[in-house]
Amino acid sequence: MPEIHEERLANGATVVVARRPGVPLAAARLQVRAGAALDPPGRFGLAQMVAMVARRGAGARSGRRLDDLVESQGAHLSASADEDAAVYSLSAPVEALSSLLGPLVDLARAPSFPPAEFERLRRRELAALAHDADEPGLIADRAMLLEAYVGHPYGHAVEGRVKDMGTMRRADALAFHRRHYGPTLTTLVLTGPLDVGMALAEARRRLGRWKATVEDPPDWPSPAPAPRRVVVVDKPDATQTQIRLAAPGFPRRSPDYFPAAVANAVLGGGFTSRLVEAIRVNRGLSYGVRSRFAMSRSTGLFTLSSFTKNETAGELVQVALDEIARFRDEGPSAAEVERATSYLAGLYPMSLETHDQWADRLADLQLYGYGLDEVRDYRERVRAVTAAAAHEVGRRRFPADTGVILAVGPARQVVAQLERFGPVRVVPVRRVL
Amino acid sequence: MTSASDRLLDLDRVVAHTFPNGLRVRLYPDRLVPAVSYYTFFRVGSRNERPGLTGISHLFEHMMFNGSERYGPKEFDRVLEAHGGTSNAYTSNDLTAYYDDFATEALPTVVDLESDRMRALRITEDGLEQERAVVKEERRLRTENSTFGLMEEQLESLVYQAHPYRWPVIGWMDDIDRIQRSDCLDFFGTYYAPSNASIYVAGDVEPDATLRLLETAYGAISAGPAAPPVPAGEPCQRGERRAAVRYPAQAPAMVAGFRGPAASSPDSAALDVLQVCLSAGEGSRLKRRLVQELEVAVTASVSWGWRIDPGLFMVFLELAPETRPQRAEEALWRELARVAHRGVGLREVERARRQLRSFVLNELSTHNGVAHALGQAEALLGDWREAGTALEQYRSVTPADVRRVAAEYLDPVRRNVVWLEPEAAR
Repeated sequence: MPEIHEERLANGATVVVARRPGVPLAAARLQVRAGAALDPPGRFGLAQMVAMVARRGAGARSGRRLDDLVESQGAHLSASADEDAAVYSLSAPVEALSSLLGPLVDLARAPSFPPAEFERLRRRELAALAHDADEPGLIADRAMLLEAYVGHPYGHAVEGRVKDMGTMRRADALAFHRRHYGPTLTTLVLTGPLDVGMALAEARRRLGRWKATVEDPPDWPSPAPAPRRVVVVDKPDATQTQIRLAAPGFPRRSPDYFPAAVANAVLGGGFTSRLVEAIRVNRGLSYGVRSRFAMSRSTGLFTLSSFTKNETAGELVQVALDEIARFRDEGPSAAEVERATSYLAGLYPMSLETHDQWADRLADLQLYGYGLDEVRDYRERVRAVTAAAAHEVGRRRFPADTGVILAVGPARQVVAQLERFGPVRVVPVRRVL
Repeated sequence: MTSASDRLLDLDRVVAHTFPNGLRVRLYPDRLVPAVSYYTFFRVGSRNERPGLTGISHLFEHMMFNGSERYGPKEFDRVLEAHGGTSNAYTSNDLTAYYDDFATEALPTVVDLESDRMRALRITEDGLEQERAVVKEERRLRTENSTFGLMEEQLESLVYQAHPYRWPVIGWMDDIDRIQRSDCLDFFGTYYAPSNASIYVAGDVEPDATLRLLETAYGAISAGPAAPPVPAGEPCQRGERRAAVRYPAQAPAMVAGFRGPAASSPDSAALDVLQVCLSAGEGSRLKRRLVQELEVAVTASVSWGWRIDPGLFMVFLELAPETRPQRAEEALWRELARVAHRGVGLREVERARRQLRSFVLNELSTHNGVAHALGQAEALLGDWREAGTALEQYRSVTPADVRRVAAEYLDPVRRNVVWLEPEAAR
């Protein structure tokens, strides 16, 4: 474990500084709990636009000056959003950190939203959505969100939709920033072989002078489980069908976290899961298949992803559902749980090998509200999961006859194969984007 | 003289040894994280194939996970995962690399698993049929249903007319169907012998004990025959070559490719610098000019991949649906010509060097990255020590070098262009 200092400033902002040995780079994350779940109706994609346009000018600095300042020192600065937060990520030679912290904090505190840059990025994002339409896996992931979270704040892609991006205005970005960006929702994480005193002092100075009052985002309930249905996104030219299965899950800070991690490792994580064995190894139906619990701050999803030639789409779905049913009925064997826990525990140190990985983990911990004790005791907690506990959580969390089955492929070939799993609706690709 | 802060890898730590059967072993002890990364490199890739059997290197990579003498089918990953590890592999034009990342305690198990499959892999008809189906799905995923995959495959066949780099690493679909068990047996005997392999171990290991462990496990495996030479010739390109991919896409895109030098050429480092000047970061030339100012491209990226034989310098542009392709293409040629004629400034080169330094540091910040860098350097450049010299190479690149390599390798006479032309769904 690195040496970690956490501090709440007078204005409510949180600063976390973690000093650790390693390569002479520093990683910083400036995280604001203003993600795509806060996108207003008709303005899907706004949270991410705010983050990206902020990167193009803040304080007295233009985007171009910022590019020069950052890149001439060998650093990299990017802005993005997910459903819960906007994140400004900096990776820099450790000696460049002090000169870049001010500009980093300004991105959230004082973005200028240059009008020309706003319009340019809006046009670019619209064009990017057209290219996304040519990526079957990406369409499947987007459609899965829409269908699994109908009417829910998590039920759209952070990239937004064509019709919303077409009418978005700079005033929307200003209003979003005013309403949702403030120090009480902001965490600054700094990691690397840095001078802790300098880092803390600099973080206090830069972040401490931000005055803005904003409300905490609410917690949203999980969508209610609904009978299983099928959605086919028609892609007439595809020779391979992308397949997803999604059902309501749970938030990151759930007591189910550890038993569910183990149950999922047995069902569909890693290279030796039951799904890989049934779909790839025994039947050669796909190159890859995996299931996971995707966890956000308020709630989450159970998801399964794979792909196969059009002719075997129905067979793949059947095999996947059979494996889920078998887990729910019989649970995992003691040997499977032993292997899964060794796997998860053994790999954990490798998920915290770099400064960037530590910065991400420490930012996550603030966002989702779990403690450092989880990081410290991860291996013991995983090893403490029993076969009975994994079975119990699997019975509750792996869907029996609920959720949505989603396929992206040629409807004329795929629909007939999927009708036996539930009522089928066919939508064109443009409805997803 | 290299300053301490610029020493990327402490090469003095490396323990290097070659066993009598030709197997090379390089160990890099590092206790920071209680884990180990274990790479096995085989000097074989699609470059060693021939028409009719393209894709065998990659298909064979899949076969390596299907059981060996003492571990049955499905056992390799099961045993590894049960010991807190994970594995994967990749095949490139030049090489095939396998890695295992695992908790320190699992080292003896990993050595046993890896040496058993090098010594006595089981190659069965069932295993071949299963992996053939899986690889065909992989090809459908990465190439046939991917606009970039379709374009890249066309580009390589334009840039290379004679050299084996002209076919895709995954192979042509017909060839994947054609590969027989007997081909796999021959392939294993020739290319997977210890004399054609090298092992790189980085992380929490004790070198002497690890060497003894490796010697016991691998020492008795017989050396193999010398691998056949690769027909590496390529006629000189004397004019632009073009191809089109018509596909039901929503927006146009283009890739342009130029044949560069071999990895071992001093020009390779200068092309790295050129690549960064052109497309790394928002302030790079193509991002600034094509994406931000002219808005003729949505994305602009450059890849320059080091290979044993002269490699590929590639530019990829995605356009907005309404952009006129010719306008984007002309803007790209103007930017490339500008570097070739007027060169780049010293500050621009300095910016590129610093970015490359951060890039290399990031690469070397994990055990896996260190083991891979040692193996890659030895496979492409003939010496693992080259993994530690990147910064010195970049430091010696001058603005004049960047201008010279741009003029020489990005000459319009030697360019190859593939356009993605959207068409209505059939």
